[in-house]
Amino acid sequence: MAAIDVRGLEREYKSGLKAVRGIDLAVEPGEVYGFLGPNGAGKTTTVRMLVTLLRPTGGSATVAGFDVATEPAKVRRRIGVALQEAALDQLMTGRELMELQATLHGIPAKQVADRADELIGRVGLSQAAERRVGTYSGGMRRRLDLAMALIHAPEVLFLDEPTTGLDPTSRSTLWDEVRRLKADGTTVFLTTQYLEEADQLADRVGIIADGLIVAEGTPAALKAEVGLPHLDVSFADCPDLSRAKELLGRFGELRPAPEGADVSVAVAKGAEEIAPVVRVLDEAGFTVASLELVEPSLDDVFAEKTGRHLEGAAEPAAAPA
Amino acid sequence: MSTVGPTAEERHALGGFERADLRRQLAVVIALVRRALNEITRVPGASIPGVLAPTIFVIGLSSVFGQADQVPGFGAVDFKTFVVPVGFLQAAGFTGAATGVNLARDIEQGWFDRLLLCPAPRLTVLAGVVASAALRCLLPVSFLFAVAMTIGVDFPGIGGLLIALLLIMGLASAFACYAVTLALRFRTQQAAPLMQMGSFVGVLFTPAYVPKELLAGWLEAVATVNPVTQVLIGVRQSFVGETSWGETWPALLAVAGLILLFGAFAARGLRRYAS
Repeated sequence: MAAIDVRGLEREYKSGLKAVRGIDLAVEPGEVYGFLGPNGAGKTTTVRMLVTLLRPTGGSATVAGFDVATEPAKVRRRIGVALQEAALDQLMTGRELMELQATLHGIPAKQVADRADELIGRVGLSQAAERRVGTYSGGMRRRLDLAMALIHAPEVLFLDEPTTGLDPTSRSTLWDEVRRLKADGTTVFLTTQYLEEADQLADRVGIIADGLIVAEGTPAALKAEVGLPHLDVSFADCPDLSRAKELLGRFGELRPAPEGADVSVAVAKGAEEIAPVVRVLDEAGFTVASLELVEPSLDDVFAEKTGRHLEGAAEPAAAPA
Repeated sequence: MSTVGPTAEERHALGGFERADLRRQLAVVIALVRRALNEITRVPGASIPGVLAPTIFVIGLSSVFGQADQVPGFGAVDFKTFVVPVGFLQAAGFTGAATGVNLARDIEQGWFDRLLLCPAPRLTVLAGVVASAALRCLLPVSFLFAVAMTIGVDFPGIGGLLIALLLIMGLASAFACYAVTLALRFRTQQAAPLMQMGSFVGVLFTPAYVPKELLAGWLEAVATVNPVTQVLIGVRQSFVGETSWGETWPALLAVAGLILLFGAFAARGLRRYAS
């Protein structure tokens, strides 16, 4: 049984605006599903329906086996949610918020303190637990928000743009935590505008545009759909460019060379082909000045499917190690 | 996928609410009330206007209209004693409106979504929000009561005082339900004047300042059917005379009716909010 099963899900507002226009998706237990799309594409509306904050106007969706429209309380019991804005009461301390969240989830009083301590430690906030949240940095708030979402050990975790606006260190901490959750078997539904984030964390990616899913698959498969990776080669000294092209043509189809490169060749196996290419060129007496492996990005996929680029594509995710 | 985290059974054991699990639901209500009281304990300055306003109103009105008790038909009660219970009702009104404004702020800031995402029954969450008003109103009421005793208002007796407090807390809850309904409808703190207006009108159209017999004809008619009038009579009885069951039960009935009416509106507002 899928952890999240969505069929023909729709949401039409009273104004007539159809924010989500019949999407289908299935997320398997333990999977990290990246949900990509620009602002206004329908990401947040979809998430709000899946977490029972908004009723669908068409189609159906089950989360952790329960229907979001007819069994919302059962869904809420099994999901954790960290929404885009970490809504935290700034007058309360981190520990007080954790304990409040535990109570709101019906955790028995005798387990509340232990569970709060465990999660505060897990997200690295033990030193700040007694401080008011108003004194926390943006990264600390996000980590606390994540800890609160995990207080009842949810089966399915929804993270809505969890690293937007965070510094690389905080982003790295959150990425590590998502990987850890995946290792623990938690299903994660991750919405993001950062392509690299989806690439790094997601087992599969769904791209939504104008309320419809326009592409879905593993990041590698999606990128393969829009073309093979290619090697752009430039030579320090190249007396015989046609010979070089002949040699490189053995590895794959030649492409028009971009500015700054002498030859460009598609390579089906990507990085695996770099060493053989260098070896062949070296043996033939060519001196390679630069060699760059260019792989299609998820933004290329998005552009291919929608004719537009994602906003986050222009903003590097300041990749942590 | 290897699973080293909690098993499904362990996950389910960590929380949730069964229909009959009143203890966990009560814990939610208490937790939400405690959170609401944080504003008083951690930002005391923010609550000063709400605490002082009813007292200033009573002192000011007593000073300006103090001789009104000389008007034929007013009775043998001095004006400040007559008007102190109105201050209590206003305290309930201010607190109820503040509850709505605070909820609107929570909606604007996304906190309310967090509450709605918890598996506690939504009526329990609503009860937690409203119950805070019942407790918070005790602060301005206590201050006014202390000042009233200082300026010579007669002590109403323990029984009368307890009945008055029960009615005021109930009325604060009803006004809070009204304000919460508006907060859920408009989802902005800009609706604050509307939230305040309900209690203001409710108290205004009662025998707040003179006995009902001295009100203009149309106002007397409105005051007669206004349930807040019964509440005021119930609160005032011990200050101006003896406490009687005959004036207590209509007040209790009126408060219960107001809570049920506005509570139903608030519950409907909550259902619509999430749809």
